[in-house]
Amino acid sequence: MLDAFSRAVVSADASTSVVSDIAALRGFVAEGNKRLDAVNAIASNASCIVSDAVAGMICENQGLIQAGGNCYPNRRMAACLRDGEIVLRYITYALLAGDASVLDDRCLNGLKETYAALGVPATSTGRAVQIMKASSLAHINDTNTEAQAGKRFKQMGSAKGDCSALTAEAGSYFDRVISALS
Amino acid sequence: MKSVVTTVITSADAAGRFPSSSDLESVQGSIQRAAARLEAAEKLANNLDNVAKEAYAACIKKYPYLNDSGEANSTDTFKAKCERDIKHYMRLIQYCLVVGGTGPLDEWGIAGGREVYRALNLPTAPYVEALSFARSRGCAPRDMSVQALVEYNALLDYTINSLS
Repeated sequence: MLDAFSRAVVSADASTSVVSDIAALRGFVAEGNKRLDAVNAIASNASCIVSDAVAGMICENQGLIQAGGNCYPNRRMAACLRDGEIVLRYITYALLAGDASVLDDRCLNGLKETYAALGVPATSTGRAVQIMKASSLAHINDTNTEAQAGKRFKQMGSAKGDCSALTAEAGSYFDRVISALS
Repeated sequence: MKSVVTTVITSADAAGRFPSSSDLESVQGSIQRAAARLEAAEKLANNLDNVAKEAYAACIKKYPYLNDSGEANSTDTFKAKCERDIKHYMRLIQYCLVVGGTGPLDEWGIAGGREVYRALNLPTAPYVEALSFARSRGCAPRDMSVQALVEYNALLDYTINSLS
C-alpha cells in the first residue's frame, strides 16, 4: 500500500534518482486539512450515503426486490448494503492516502470476477456507486440541500473554500470502482 | 511502504472501520511535521552528490588501508562503486524524509545488507565513518533549518545504528 509520498518515492526509485518534485508534495501538505475534512465528511455520513445509494438503485429497478431479484430476500439486501459500505470505506482510505493503491489492492482486485461468479448485476452495482459518488461529493462540499435530504438533512459546517482539486480526486476513486466493475 | 498514513489505514482496515477522528489526528500530526522533512529532502536532493563525495573522502581518509592493492577502494571501478554506495544511502535517506518513515531504508537498504556485505567481503566500518561524517557536517541554519536538520540527522543515526 502506498500514499502520495511513498508513490513519489517508488517512482523516483524506478530510475534511481532522488525525489525532485517536492513542490507537489508541499501542496499535498498545505491542502492536508481539507483532505482530512473530506475524509471525515464521508466517514461521518457513511451509513446515510450507502443506504441512500442502495435505496436509489432499487427505486430505479424494482425488479431487484421481487422474488428472484438480487436484493431479495433481506439476507441478500443486507449483503448489498454491506458491500456498499466496504467499497465506500476503501474509497475513504484512498482519499486519506492520496493514492488509489489501497483501493486497487484490497478492494477492486478480483471484485469483478467475484461478482460475476455470484451473479451480482454489474449495471446495478455501478449505479449504486454513482449515487454514492454524487452524495459523497455533496457532503465534501457541503452542497447537499434540505430538499434532497428531507428530515435527515445534515451539513458538516466546515469553512468553505476551493475544494475543486480534492473533489475531482475523490470523484476519480468512485469512477475507478465503476470502471473496474464494468 | 510503512508511513503514518499507511499504518493508520492498515489498522483501520483490520478493524473494518472508517477512518476515525483519532486516525485523522495521527495523519494531521504527520502533516504538521512534514514541512521540515520536505525542506530537508529538497536541500539534500540539491546537494546530494557533494554530500556523498565528502562523506566518501572522509571514510577513505580514516581507513587508508582501503587503497591498498586488493582492498575495497583499490581500483577506479571499486572507487566508483564505493562512492555509489554512499550515494545510495543518501538517496534512501532522502526517500525516508519524503515518506516520513523509515520504510525505504528498511526495505531497500537495511534488509539483507548484512548478508550482502559479508558475501562481498566488505567492511561496514567505513560506511559508518562516512555517514558519521555527514552527521556532523550538516549545520543549521547554513544548510537547512534547525528542525529539518533534526529530521535529517535522525535518519543518519538510524542508518549508522543499522550498520554497527
